[in-house]
Formats: sequence, C-alpha cells, structure tokens
Amino acid sequence: MNKRTLRGASRRSILQQFGAAAIGVSFAGGLSACGRGGGAPTVNFYNWDTYIGPTTLADFQAATGVPVNMSLFATNDELFARLRAGNPGFDVIVPSNEFVTRMSQAQMIQELDRSKIPNFANLLPEFQDAAFDPGRRYSMPYTWLVLGIAYRKDKMPANFVPNSWRYLFDSPQFTQRIALLSESADLIRLCAKYLGHSVNNIPDEMLTQIEQMLIRQKPHIKAFHEDDGQDLLASGEIDIVLEYNGDIAQLMAGPGGEAFDFVVPQEGTLINSDCLCIPTGAPHLEEAHAFINYLLDAEAGKAITEEIQYPTPNRAVADLMGDAYKNNRVIFPPADVMAKSEYGAFEGDERSRLYEEIFTRVNAA
Amino acid sequence: MTTLSQRRARRERPGPLEYTKRWPLRVIVLATLAFLYLPLITLMVFSFNTSRRNVVWQGFTTDWYVKAFNNESLLQAFVNSLTIAFLCTIISVILGALAAVMLWRFRFPGKTAVEGSMALPIVVPEICLGVAMLVFFARVLPWPMGLPWPLNLGAITIAHVSFSFPFVSTVVRARLASFNRELEEAAKDLGASEWRTFWDVLVPHMQPGLIAGALLAFTLSLDDFVITFFTAGPDTITFPVKVYSMLRFSVTPEVNAASTVLILVTVVLTAVGLQMQNRTEADKAKA
Amino acid sequence: MEQTWRQAKAAFAAISIPPIAWLLLFFIVPMAVIWAYSFGENTGPVTIDFTGTFSNYMRAAEPLYLEIFWKSVLVAGLTTILCLLVGFPVALAIAFASPRMKAWLLLLIMLPFWTNLLIRTYALIAVLREQGYVNFTLEWLWSNASGLMTLVGLQPLGEFEPLTLLYNNTAVVIGLVYVHLPFMVLPLYSALDRMDRSLMEASLDLGAGHMRTIMQVVVPLAAPGIASGILITFIPALGAYLTPDLLGGTDSQMIANVIERQFKRANDWPFGAALSFMLMYLTFIAIAVQALVQRRSERRR
Repeated sequence: MNKRTLRGASRRSILQQFGAAAIGVSFAGGLSACGRGGGAPTVNFYNWDTYIGPTTLADFQAATGVPVNMSLFATNDELFARLRAGNPGFDVIVPSNEFVTRMSQAQMIQELDRSKIPNFANLLPEFQDAAFDPGRRYSMPYTWLVLGIAYRKDKMPANFVPNSWRYLFDSPQFTQRIALLSESADLIRLCAKYLGHSVNNIPDEMLTQIEQMLIRQKPHIKAFHEDDGQDLLASGEIDIVLEYNGDIAQLMAGPGGEAFDFVVPQEGTLINSDCLCIPTGAPHLEEAHAFINYLLDAEAGKAITEEIQYPTPNRAVADLMGDAYKNNRVIFPPADVMAKSEYGAFEGDERSRLYEEIFTRVNAA
Repeated sequence: MTTLSQRRARRERPGPLEYTKRWPLRVIVLATLAFLYLPLITLMVFSFNTSRRNVVWQGFTTDWYVKAFNNESLLQAFVNSLTIAFLCTIISVILGALAAVMLWRFRFPGKTAVEGSMALPIVVPEICLGVAMLVFFARVLPWPMGLPWPLNLGAITIAHVSFSFPFVSTVVRARLASFNRELEEAAKDLGASEWRTFWDVLVPHMQPGLIAGALLAFTLSLDDFVITFFTAGPDTITFPVKVYSMLRFSVTPEVNAASTVLILVTVVLTAVGLQMQNRTEADKAKA
Repeated sequence: MEQTWRQAKAAFAAISIPPIAWLLLFFIVPMAVIWAYSFGENTGPVTIDFTGTFSNYMRAAEPLYLEIFWKSVLVAGLTTILCLLVGFPVALAIAFASPRMKAWLLLLIMLPFWTNLLIRTYALIAVLREQGYVNFTLEWLWSNASGLMTLVGLQPLGEFEPLTLLYNNTAVVIGLVYVHLPFMVLPLYSALDRMDRSLMEASLDLGAGHMRTIMQVVVPLAAPGIASGILITFIPALGAYLTPDLLGGTDSQMIANVIERQFKRANDWPFGAALSFMLMYLTFIAIAVQALVQRRSERRR
C-alpha cells in the first residue's frame, strides 16, 4: 500500500510538470497569436445557452478555419465569480451592461482593438457609445432587452392591460397570482421607478420605503422565480409575472402563444444589454477579435437574431429582418415608454450588498 | 399436479423474516416507488412533447431524440459527466473504505480532529467548496488547459472525490460497527497475514456498505453542478452545467430525451448484468 | 476493542495515509483559503485583505441571519424525520429481499437520482402544480363523487378548487424528502443487510410481535446505520438551495440560499465565508461532543 501511494505521488508530480509544460506551450501560443496571428487557433467562447444561431460557430469555422469552443454560464453573477480568481482560458465572454462596468473597473476585461472590428460601423448610432462603457472601449453590444409585465390575457378583466408596476408591487388585485424575478437589484430599481425615481442613485429613505412596500406586497406574491417566469406563466400557475421581453417573445411565438401578452409599464423600465468582451489574459486575442467582428456581421447577425428573437442593436441586421420581427411590439416596445426607460448603472459593490441584504430581509419577513 | 403444488407453495404464509413478502411493507415500498417515479414518468412523457417547454402538453413527436443524438455538445457533456462519475466513484470508494477502517480500528492521537475534518466536506455548503476549489485551482495548483481527454477532467474529478469520499466513509463505518472483531482475530490466529485478513474477512463484511457508498458517490458526482461549474475549464462542459445554463431560456425536452435514454440504458445494463451473474452462479452450481 | 496505532504501525500507515493526505491536500488547503477570507475585508471588486477582523462573524450573528439559520434547521430536521420514517421500511424490505430482488430494488430506488436534479425538480413541479397530475386525479375523484351524490338525490359538490401544493414551505419539505431519500435508504440498507438474524428469530420465537421485534431488536442493531443516515441526510438538507429556490414561496429561503447569494450576487466572499464557517463550527462542536459522550460511556463500561 505504501508503495502504491508513493507511485501515485510521483505520478502526480509528473502530471504537474506536464501541466507546467502545457501552460508554457499555451502561453507561447497566445503570444505568437498576438504577434503574428498564428499559433493554436481556437476561440473559447463563454456564453448563455441557446444564445447563438444554430450554425453560427460552424459558419465561423468555415469562413476562417478557426474552431469555436463554447462553454456555458447561467447568470452574470456566475460569470463574474468564475473569472474572479483569474481567467482559466476564455477568449470571448457575454456579460450584461452593469457587469461590463464592474469587470472593467476590476480589470477583468481588456480594451478592444477597434481596428480589428470593422463591423462596428454596422451598429445603430445609439449603440456606438454607452454610459456603462464610455466610448465602447471594452464591449460590443450583442443584444438588448427590457423587463416588463407578461400576463395571461383571459385572466385579466375585460379590456384591461396591466400597464403599471403597481399590479406587481403595490396592489392586491392579482393576489397569489403574481411571480417576481428574484434579482435584488432589478426588483429594487423597478420599485424606485414605480415610485417616480430614477433606477439609479436611489436615496436611503426610499430604500426603506421600497422594503416596506415589498414586505406589504409579499402575501400577494406567489413566488420569486429564477428567470423561468415564462414557464410559470405557461403552466397556469400564475397570471402575471415580471420577465424579460425576449423570453416572452419566444413564448408568444410558440404554439398557444396567443394566450399571453407583454407590456412595458407606463412608468418606464430597466434596459439591459448583453455585450461581447474579451477577458484579461485571453489566450487567443487575434481570433477573439475576429470572432466578435463576425458576430457583428449582417448575415451572421441575422441568423442569430432569427433564432433568439431578441432586439438587435445592429442596423445592418435589422435591415435584413422581416417586418414580423421589426414591427413586433414585444421585441421593440413603443418609443414613448422606451424614452422613460434607463440602464441600471453599476454603483459599486457596497450598493449591490445593500440591495442583497434588503432582499434577504424581505424574504425573511 | 405440479401446478397445484406450485400454487399451494405460492399461497403458503411467508416465513418469519421474509419482510419483503408482508403486505404492510409492500404497500410502503410501492407507495415510495410511486412517489419517486411519478415525476420520472412525467419527465419521460415530456420528452415526446412537441412544445420546446417542459410545461404544457402539445403533441407527440420523437424529434427531441433525434436532436439530442445530433447535439454534439450535449453528448460530449453526457460522456464527460459519466466519465467523471465513474472515476470519482472508484477513487471515493477506495479512500472512503480506508478512512472508515482507520477510524473504526485504530486509536491514535488527534482522532477526534481527523473525524471532525472527515465530516466537513459533508457540511460545507456547495457554493463555499466551489469557490474554495476555484481559488485552489486558480492559485495553488493550476490545472493546465488543453490536455487530452480525459485528463482535462482531472480538476473536476479531484473536487468531486473530495466531497464524495467522506459520504462513503460514513456509510462503511456504520456497517463496520456490526463486525465481530473476534473473526479477524481468529483469522490472524490461524496464521493469515494482515493483508489476507483485511481482504478475506473485513472486505466481504463491508460489501453492502461499499455498494451503498459507491451508489452514493456516483449519484453525488453525476448530479453536482456548483462545484463542477467552478472547476470546469473552457473545454469541459458537464451535463448539469449544460442543463442549468438552459434555465434562462427554458430547459428543452432534448434534456428529457437524453435522461430517458440514460434511464433505459441503465435498466437494460442491470438486467443483462444480473442475467450474466445468474448464469455464472448456475454454472458454478453445475460444476 | 480499538487498537492503538502503535500496535500495527505499518498497517496504520497504509490505511491512513491515502485518505488523510487527500483530505489535507484537496480539501483542507482549499478551505483554509476560504477560512482566511472569513476574517478578511473587501478592498475592491476582486481583492480581499486579511485584516483579522471579526466583523463578518458579528454580521452573521445578527438576528436576521440567526433566524434564517434556525428555520433551515427546522426544515432540514423535519425532512430527516420524514426520510427516516419512509426510508426505514424501504431499507428493511431491500435487506430482506432475495439477492436478485435486492439488486432490482436498490436500482429502482437509485435510478431517479441519476437524472439531473434540476430536471427532476421540474418534473416534481409538473406533478404538484395546480394543473398537475395530483390535482387532475383529485378533480376526477371530486367530479365522480359529485355525480354519485346527485344520483342518490343529494346536493352535488361545489366546483373543484385545485389544491395549492407548490410555492410554500410544505412543497420545500416534500421536495427535500424527494431529493434526499437515498441518503437515508443507503446507510440503513448497508447496516441492515445480512444482519445476524438469530436474534430476531429468537425474539419472534419468544412470542414478541413483529413491531416489537423491529423496535427492540432490529433498531438497536441498526443504530449506527440510523445515526449515519441521519447525519448524511440532515446536513445536505440543511445546505439545500435549489429546492427552496424552485419549490418555495416568498418566505422559504434557507441559509444556503443566503450563502449562495453572498458568493454570487453580493460579491461578498468574506461574509459568505463567515456564514459557511458558522455551519461548520457547529458541526465540529456537535461531533466533538458526541465523541466525548461516546468515550465516557466506553470508559464506564
């Protein structure tokens, strides 16, 4: 037995040496990729599942000869936590707006080389700059999305549209038929919007007010859902839910989808944008830029948008899309409510922790 | 005549210790199985649903099976998960059995501390161990990227063993409590070496514990998401990671189809295995 | 009786080095870093200073978190008791089945758990929800009963109101029992299997009933298995987060949900570490107390 462990130990050290050699190789590969555009050509893409066209990766490989290796995460928080201790080798990641700011402040993502992304010109002018990433130094927009109220039409009073956050946050009308997204920051920001404030710079006394409002509303809420609100709605467990427009557009496009509808409340809402970024320490810089550029291409973008049915920030893509997409008021909410809507800014980690504690208290109350 | 005697045999009262044949126990077992399998049957039924949501029944199709079989990343994730679970089970059973024997047989300084530390992996919240492993493999022992399969699964396997083997050890140790130590002594008195006594006397007694422990380790590893997520590299997706990342856009019936196939394959393999075992036993009896 | 390690040094080394080394290198070392974090302070989005502060523990000991702690203990305790009540007869049936039957029963109990937890939980939701199979069955029974009553000239029953089985604490307990049952059945089976049956036969021969034999002969013999079953059911149930997330209502959060959110959304690793280690300190104390009690009772003997 003793011998066996010894042998195991030596095998482990051999493995370590082998590992060190492999690191050296991949590091050298990354360097040469930087310098000459050669080396081990592959793109390690870290994305949400089904958030890509069915053939996009294969098409990119056919066009450039570079294979794409896609791994998956489920939330921004997971993505951030996964990369916090260092980049294990990802080349392109897809964080949302707030996390672009957070990760750029933490130097977890690197500046993009605009000269290698000529398809930047395809973007709509309003997406060529962003408050969460001034000058678009770190990120390229991939999609954008808004939170709103999805509901089952035949469970509403006649000719009734729940076009205010009141029905979710501050009213017993749909008691025990409501589900809210269990994202502390989103909930608190939307409550502030309902109370007539911006989603950012919420004063402390308003936070207290919001906490009390949510605790008061709690008996009427059936569940806090994990971004699977569309499933709760479809199964008839609830009638009205806080969800993203893209999820509901997919639900409404499917069979039986005519039973549901989606509205962005008159008070305005939170806008989010999923962006393409390159994490610090990415081993294949050249290929990563080429891949981002490819995703912003008109034809490639069209294939992606047709699959995922999310609003695109890409003018060249939008021009290629049919009217059914362009005129879909779930995917593109009316201009008047969009004008009242805002991006949630990253206001420091202290703020996220405060929001989280408020949510814990609401849950525990 | 034979049929009559057979029938009579069947009608005979069960023996005093044949608990499996007593109706209160049968009712409980059947009710438990119903509780366990009702959701599972639902899952299988939904693998034939035309809707891409696991929610409302809309019509019959076998498309999801075709899609699942053509989905390379899903299959790769599946193979990865099974490989990790298999490796993890073997290592965990060995380490767990050794740990159990150590704690059962010996008195040594610091035993309470070792015992307590052995229980920690059971206690520690998954996310906490996940983050610990993340930091460990990022800073202390960086697992190289781009290793050939299955070496690229090394970090995940190590992490899985760390939380699985204490479960095995707990179960095996409980089993050892019923061991009659005089047997071991008798074997030694008869001149058996330490190793022979261990292998021929102790291991057979531990066997039910080893089986139970192996089943636990396999289950724990196959189902783990959090710790896997934090130890997986860019080139290693496992089945649970794949499934959890589907949550945002609804989990598709493809996953149900893949799970149904796994269930059926397991049942068939077990049936074949038992059949072969029976045959070898019958052969032995003949010889 | 236990041997001291000195009596068989070589055997002790062979048996103890692999598990202890593994535990040390691949568990204690990684956890030590997190333990250090629990005494640290966040100085930036990804940086933590080890300042030796106790502020994280002070915060973890606030009534808000202690209450969540206590509630999680209650939920996990209830789950463990239910698992024991269901699992013991099942384990008994497996242990006393024929070898062939035994293999099948073990497989049947384990098979559901080789299906992904998330999918299994979704399937459970499909069974329990308002338009799920439990409610469909009840509705069918209800309407038949109602029809029967009109047949015999009674008032028909009112309209069927589906039971709300999901999104409350009951659903969480049902879900946890569903998820943790094998953790109870397996150790019980391993303790009951091939148990010395002569004692049971003697008890039965002496006229004790089956219930009495089980309670007074089988249960004491299986006590170590029961203890290990309780340990490995209760503790993972205490750390459950997915089940309360998906099946729970607005007041079903458990301590693991709070811990998970500290490591993810709140990006507060020191506080998450402190909450996690509170759980571990408690376990360590419980095990130390148990060891002390055991040693004392052994000495008395």
